[in-house]
Amino acid sequence: MSDLLQHVLNGLAAGTIYALVALGYTMVYGVLKLINFAHGDVMMVGVYVGYASAKQMGRDTSSSFLGVTLVFLLSMAMCAALGFLIERFAYRPLRDKPKLTALITAIGMSFFLSYSFQLEASLGGLTVLPGAAPRAFPDVITSQVWLIIGDVVVSNKQVISVVVALALMGGLQFLVFRTRFGMAMRAVSFDHRTAGLMGIPVDRVIALTFMLGSALAAGAGILYAIKDTLVQPLMGVTVGLKAFVAAVIGGIGHVPGAVVGSLCLGLVEEFVVGYGGSTWRDAVAFGFLIAVLLFRPEGIFGRVTAEKV
Amino acid sequence: MGGVIRGLLPFAVAVPVLAALQVLTADAPFLVILSLTVGVNIVLAVSLNIVNGMTGQFSIGHAGFMAVGAYVGGVLSKVTSEYGISFLPEVVSDQVLFALSLVVGGAVAALFGFVVGLPSLRLKGDYLAIVTLGFGEIIRVVVQNTELFGKALGLSGVPARTTLFSCWLVVVVVVVVAKRIHDSSHGRALLAIREDEIAAEAMGVNTTAYKVRSFVVASFFAGVAGGVFAHYQSIVAPSSFTYVKSMEVVVMIVAGGLGSTTGAIVAAVFLTLLPEGLRSVLLAVTGDGALAQKVEQIRMPLYGLLLVVLMLLRPQGLFGTRELWDMGPFRKKRAPSPPSPLSSSASPGAAPEVVR
Amino acid sequence: MSLLKVHRATMQFGGLKALSDFSLDVAQGDLQGLIGPNGAGKTTAFNVMTGVYRPTSGAVVVDGERMNGRLPHQVNRAGLARTFQNIRLFKELTALDNVKVACLADDRPPSSPFSRARIDGLRRQGRFAPAHALDAWGNYLDWWRALFLTSGYRADEAHIEERALRLLDVMGLAHRAGEQARNLPYGEQRRLEIARALATSPKVLLLDEPAAGMNTKEKAELMVQIRRLRDEFALGVLLIEHDMKLVMGICEQITVLDHGETIAVGTPDQVKKDPKVIEAYLGVESKELQA
Repeated sequence: MSDLLQHVLNGLAAGTIYALVALGYTMVYGVLKLINFAHGDVMMVGVYVGYASAKQMGRDTSSSFLGVTLVFLLSMAMCAALGFLIERFAYRPLRDKPKLTALITAIGMSFFLSYSFQLEASLGGLTVLPGAAPRAFPDVITSQVWLIIGDVVVSNKQVISVVVALALMGGLQFLVFRTRFGMAMRAVSFDHRTAGLMGIPVDRVIALTFMLGSALAAGAGILYAIKDTLVQPLMGVTVGLKAFVAAVIGGIGHVPGAVVGSLCLGLVEEFVVGYGGSTWRDAVAFGFLIAVLLFRPEGIFGRVTAEKV
Repeated sequence: MGGVIRGLLPFAVAVPVLAALQVLTADAPFLVILSLTVGVNIVLAVSLNIVNGMTGQFSIGHAGFMAVGAYVGGVLSKVTSEYGISFLPEVVSDQVLFALSLVVGGAVAALFGFVVGLPSLRLKGDYLAIVTLGFGEIIRVVVQNTELFGKALGLSGVPARTTLFSCWLVVVVVVVVAKRIHDSSHGRALLAIREDEIAAEAMGVNTTAYKVRSFVVASFFAGVAGGVFAHYQSIVAPSSFTYVKSMEVVVMIVAGGLGSTTGAIVAAVFLTLLPEGLRSVLLAVTGDGALAQKVEQIRMPLYGLLLVVLMLLRPQGLFGTRELWDMGPFRKKRAPSPPSPLSSSASPGAAPEVVR
Repeated sequence: MSLLKVHRATMQFGGLKALSDFSLDVAQGDLQGLIGPNGAGKTTAFNVMTGVYRPTSGAVVVDGERMNGRLPHQVNRAGLARTFQNIRLFKELTALDNVKVACLADDRPPSSPFSRARIDGLRRQGRFAPAHALDAWGNYLDWWRALFLTSGYRADEAHIEERALRLLDVMGLAHRAGEQARNLPYGEQRRLEIARALATSPKVLLLDEPAAGMNTKEKAELMVQIRRLRDEFALGVLLIEHDMKLVMGICEQITVLDHGETIAVGTPDQVKKDPKVIEAYLGVESKELQA
């Protein structure tokens, strides 16, 4: 019984991290109807920025509250900038081209980011590209056990990741449904041409959405890295694809759907691993995805949209 | 009957030419290996082009089908390696068994292609891409967990049976098949689906069946390519069939121009030879093995960058949907000569005969 | 004899009734019109008839066969061909290839054991399994014939090409055969769509605003042409049109839709005088029409 509870807890904690990444996919899909394949790789870049800044600060500074906050903010800011650049130079010129062109660009961008980081390069003593070797993320949050109920162990990292994730999601929900920017976002999502005619600065809304999604991904990435502690350039592909799966399961373009889908995926994976199928872990997410797409292609909360004839 | 003879003409030409090449290159193992790599990549690119270029679906899991063919073919050859066909000399018997394992590997891959093609009935564009990708990953995970396939270490000791002749004969087959499909009514149906699925369906094209068939044909040849690959590498490891391999093939067909078979061939040759050539030149000039090694690493990000740059500057790739023979001095006159203008509708008085 | 019969078809999207209790009967030699203001449900009616939508209730019967739940390509094979309001040609293909694609439905010569006529005959007798098997096997053989370039295959291809060229010629597009569809002028694109629809050997032709975007002269010519097609191909024709004068001038029977409801059926003169029609649709234009 306590075993089960422990797995549920771990699964939910993992799910919240997927959720943060999935939200980025869903937001971008909402405004652009494009699956941003490079999203997971932006997250990976964020993790490396966090890694570098934590190393730079040194162990004592980076594990103070202020230090940790700074690590998060720095990496989120850098990723927002990266997201802006990608949108501006790779996606915007293709916005009115066939969807396939944008899809191929996104795939190419993902490939470019993840494999550039596999290279090692430094410029005047400063490491520019980290290389393929996995690294341990600095221990900015020291592992502590906060709660033991029977055999169930709750660690501080789990609590922190759930709390941070929930806070970020709450903020996003507020932004989308309670602010003028959110209203503009929803208008662009509905029909970006008409929104433009109504005086909404479409380019700016889309750029901001990208920046926001990328920043969320960076936050999620650091939470993930703190928990899993191994950082490597291809982590973005794995985590990104799973988060994407979660977003599709929930119904892509739907904010609470992404969260529910992520929690489902986190739980399913945890159970598969927990009950002896760890080598199957990566197949589970895709099996789950294919099943959902076959039986309910619009996802749990999605709506069916048919092409107008 | 005369038609069949004409149909087999490309092979009548290819067989002696390839046999001669095989003899000529007997002393140049490096060249042979290079040609095999190029050949396998051509087969992969041309077959993927049937799905992505002609039918307009977007599969990014081609390596998964290749893996199926490689493992099934490899296991089959290992099992049969002790046996021979009694009335044939050993070399011939080996090649017959080799051909058999290629076909079986391809057939099993085609079966998987059928299974993956099925969801494509309901999915479009990016969703389908993800499913094919996911499928490729699932295959890899399944293989890594199967004792028969050597788990994570892979299959070793697959008899080395691929020759320049057999590999390039497969290339000729796939190119001929791709061209004939393209030029037939089946090909036109595939192109129609690419152009406008709803209109194709309304014009009586069973879009579902055609999409699945294109998946089946493409995965069959991916499986055969896998078999060819397995029989010259001798070791089949799961790491050969990752997302990266699929992407490599996607880059080839996008660079060549989605929908152009000759474009896929040219891009496959170029993108295979370039890093190989660069590597050997670097090694020869600097004598620095580490530097040559770098080429392999730089290849990946460059592929990504190439996709992005192509989409921004030349989304139609090298050839667009055209073929080499549609261009320049090779150009055939496409338009048939117009029939007599008398019967044209511009003159309402004329009564054209009933078309039934 | 009735070739297309729609019986009380209703199409509901969530709470919205896009089409309710729609009935229609098109026989060979008919030239009927379907009119109504924007959003009246005309294109929805077309989509229900051609299998794009499955009607919520009611029935669509083509040449005696019930079409509910059939896919668009099956409805097409049963004898219903259509054009689209927002032209949907295969843009990158040549005009000739556009028509050849549609010849697919009829690509086996009558002498073939897998001929369309034979398969349709079996189907009409209710023997669906053998019909399906014959069709599937024929299709499978077709692939191999194409791969080996058999003489039978080449004869079929020549037959298709000849037929497609003749259809282009009928629609006055023979000189455009080798040109990409997207490069044709607008009016020719519309005509190419009709040629393509004809290539599927339909019994009833559904035209969704065939004259949209054409000038007056082109429109007049097109109408003459449509009438001629009906006679030469022994078709029933149903067309949606916005230009009232045109519909009134050419159609023998008109069905008027408004908000998904059928508000009038009759000859142009009857419809013209119907107070409901005048109120719903002709209000502004009625004077012009009376004149």
